[in-house]
Amino acid sequence: MNSVVCVKQVPDTETLIKLNADGTGIVTDGVKWIMNPFDEYAVEEAVRKKEKTGGTVTLVSLGPDRALDAIRSGLAMGADTAVHINDADFAAKADPYATAQALAAAIKELEYDAIFCGKQAVDDDAGQVAAYLGELLDLPVITLVIKLELSDDGKTAIATREIEGGHAVIEVPLPAIFTAQKGLNEPRYASLPQIMKAKKKPVTVKTVADLGVSAEPMTVIKGMSLPPERQAGKMIEGADAAAKAAALAKALREEAEVI
Amino acid sequence: MPGAEITRELYWNVVGTGFPVARVLSYILALAAIVLFVKGLFRRGGFFDAVKMMKLASGPDVPRTDNAGQRLKYAVAEVFGHRKILREPYQGVAHLFIFWGFIALFFGTFMDFVQGDIIEPLFHANILQGGFYLFFSLITDLGGIMVIAGIIMFLVRRYAGRPKWLDDKPEDRIILWLILAIVVTGFLIEGLRLQATEMQPGHPMHPYAWYSFGGHLFALPFAWMSVQAAKGLHRFVWWLHLFIVMGFIVYVAYSKLLHIFTVPVNIYMRNMTENPAPLKPIPPETFETAETFGVHLLEEYSWKDLFDSEVCMRCGRCVAVCPAFNTDKPLKPRDVIQNLREHLEAKVKLSLDADGKVRVIHEESYEGPGLIGEVIEKDAIWACTTCMACIEACPAYISQFPKLIDLRRYLTMMESDFPAEVQEVFRGMENNSNPWNIGSHARADWAKELNVPLMSQKGEAEYLFYVGCAGAFDDLNKKVAIALAKIFNAAGLDYAILGTEEGCCGDSAKKIGNEYLFQMLAETNMEVFNNYKVKKIITLCPHGYNTLKYDYKELGGDYEVYHYTEILDDLIRSGKITLKNPVDNLCAISYHDSCYLGRYNGIYEQPRNILKALGLGAPVEMASHHEKSLCCGAGGGRMWMEETLGTRINQKRTQEAADAGAKTVCTACPFCYTMLSDGIKELGKGEEMRAVDIAQLVAKAAGLE
Repeated sequence: MNSVVCVKQVPDTETLIKLNADGTGIVTDGVKWIMNPFDEYAVEEAVRKKEKTGGTVTLVSLGPDRALDAIRSGLAMGADTAVHINDADFAAKADPYATAQALAAAIKELEYDAIFCGKQAVDDDAGQVAAYLGELLDLPVITLVIKLELSDDGKTAIATREIEGGHAVIEVPLPAIFTAQKGLNEPRYASLPQIMKAKKKPVTVKTVADLGVSAEPMTVIKGMSLPPERQAGKMIEGADAAAKAAALAKALREEAEVI
Repeated sequence: MPGAEITRELYWNVVGTGFPVARVLSYILALAAIVLFVKGLFRRGGFFDAVKMMKLASGPDVPRTDNAGQRLKYAVAEVFGHRKILREPYQGVAHLFIFWGFIALFFGTFMDFVQGDIIEPLFHANILQGGFYLFFSLITDLGGIMVIAGIIMFLVRRYAGRPKWLDDKPEDRIILWLILAIVVTGFLIEGLRLQATEMQPGHPMHPYAWYSFGGHLFALPFAWMSVQAAKGLHRFVWWLHLFIVMGFIVYVAYSKLLHIFTVPVNIYMRNMTENPAPLKPIPPETFETAETFGVHLLEEYSWKDLFDSEVCMRCGRCVAVCPAFNTDKPLKPRDVIQNLREHLEAKVKLSLDADGKVRVIHEESYEGPGLIGEVIEKDAIWACTTCMACIEACPAYISQFPKLIDLRRYLTMMESDFPAEVQEVFRGMENNSNPWNIGSHARADWAKELNVPLMSQKGEAEYLFYVGCAGAFDDLNKKVAIALAKIFNAAGLDYAILGTEEGCCGDSAKKIGNEYLFQMLAETNMEVFNNYKVKKIITLCPHGYNTLKYDYKELGGDYEVYHYTEILDDLIRSGKITLKNPVDNLCAISYHDSCYLGRYNGIYEQPRNILKALGLGAPVEMASHHEKSLCCGAGGGRMWMEETLGTRINQKRTQEAADAGAKTVCTACPFCYTMLSDGIKELGKGEEMRAVDIAQLVAKAAGLE
């Protein structure tokens, strides 16, 4: 089975986020970048399917030069080739719609039986790209997949989705788009030979213009804000357990106003 | 010649004029024994086949033959002085008796040979007479009695009180009984000779009979015997003795007795590098080019690794001190070495060509047990805390645990096969340069409210205070970092921290086997160190201390590295820190030796000096301390792994502290501090016990809280 996996480079979830001067984005200097964790599930699943049935795994990513690091991580996990849509300006202002336009244009040039995406990118949490891709490529989209099985003839797939309080099992003809949810697999830690090999794997670099994409974003970010800083904890004092409990109840009612 | 009458006839009653054939027969027997001994060494799968395999071994090794004079001096002192063997007094004394007893007996036999087979037949003279003869008599008898005493001590231990870490194979018992039989028959020969000669009143040697006191004692039961009967029995026992001795000589080549020869050689070849437990170097440039990393085939070990396996005589001291074994985990360092030996001897048989040459078997065509998983099980590989107790305990100077790290390297770097929870740790080190995976921007948050100089502001400082991940990110250990900063400030120390420019030292990555990640972290740190022209470094954590001191040096970083206990000891001595406040509420304080301070670096006294300076007297020592201190369980990357097998090491150590009556357990290592704090909680002893870091006590006593 040939797969395409869309990967996005995002700030590390632990990195310090600072807003830029006009509050419409983040300061990217000093940020540690990683592959979107949900995309790791997607890459892992595609690689596992390849290891089982043969075929190739191609990564597609939109981002500036630095996105190559995320691409190399995916190649080290076992993907074969990658298309890097290297367009810093386009990527900087792209909303999910524009991103999907660029990705779809690149994917159209590839052969595939399945497209894998993370269920959302952990930076903007929009979770829209896969749906747009379904529309642009005219393919079914199965979201929040936690288990995926292929039929013997490779023509259909049976996906298990996570839904509120249970699971839904869905059959879909291939090609189709799947978005990966935590639990789909345990992404591997790339072995050293794979990391070294990944450095030599082919990455095709394209610009948005190369792909003939002229889409403008449909949405614009007007402002961002950081959550309020966490208040320091407060120790409840008291002579004994009963006194402490009373003080706690009082604090919860009068200071926190939660009871 | 004066004293010429004080002597005895050699080969008396056996090789007299009446028995010319006996001398020839004894020579033939001796020759046969030597031939069989050599054959034993050269047997299929035997020692010399193993040596052929060692020649194929490709793993790099530290120098083994430099400083010949120093090596020889050390080996001679160790072999004859038994320093390490005597660390276990009972076994040590028993071995010492047998060793020195044997030397006396060898001296006696050798003199017999020189006199009886060279001087007498060729020069018709006698050197074994007079005072020298009496001395010779006394010494050999003393030797024999010492051997018997040693053997009895070993027999008692083996039959009456065998500890669970001592294994018990037929050869172990055979060897003891064999040696006993040799010495007892020897004394019987002497006793029967005395009965037939010197003990008879009127014999010229009668007054000197007690110089052969051992034989004299053995002669007492035969006092009723006629001279004729004693001579008959003597002749029989003489031949019996000779047969057993020859059998013993042959058995040396087939049993652990070979250690008589291999151990001195191994001591001579001991690791003389600074690093007490060096791992195989992986030059950075080979990451791009090498096809495989670590060890998964026997031949990938170094020749010395394989030699080590042939040296081990299964004394089990490494097992006795192993924290994994002592908490019922499937790791016995001795068995790692022994399984390796068995594997070596089996594989060399498969690798032998018809002409006796050993060839490398291709991995695909090899059908024997795999090194990882079958010869050494994975649970054993991951159970090691790298506490170095095995290396420290081994009287044969074998390097045990680094052989497991070689296997971890293969599993980690080649197969990505490690305990699942480790992946997040690697990720944390890669993305945020700390195993907790806390944002690297928060590395200096602990110092926010304090006046801690930053290297980026100060430009340069005499000392770099390398805080390390635990002091920077772990809430418990941040208190230690704060205490140290306050002390350094109060003492007016010229120091600075790197703040967010500091990175993880990489110790855990290295010991888990991820050398690639370790070197990336090390290179990043060294670049920062070198930017600030750092020369002297104080570390909070013994793991960072050891890593910066030895492992960075191997990568070209040359720094003078100190652990904070060394600095504090010095500051207190020189009066730069005054401990004016009494440290209260500390009754019964005990100090837990960190493996990476103690065994790795010999820092035992500085922390104890500090405790003494606090006016607390000498700490109460736990059942195991100093060189034998039990690990807290967090070394070797175990800090980050679940402990699912057996019982918990930290609880065992906490219990040791409780059993010693300690109310306060002092640590000087963040991992130990965490593990023992947890241990106290887990054992429900939070009310009566507490763990505390020495730096915190010093800060308190100096009024810096």
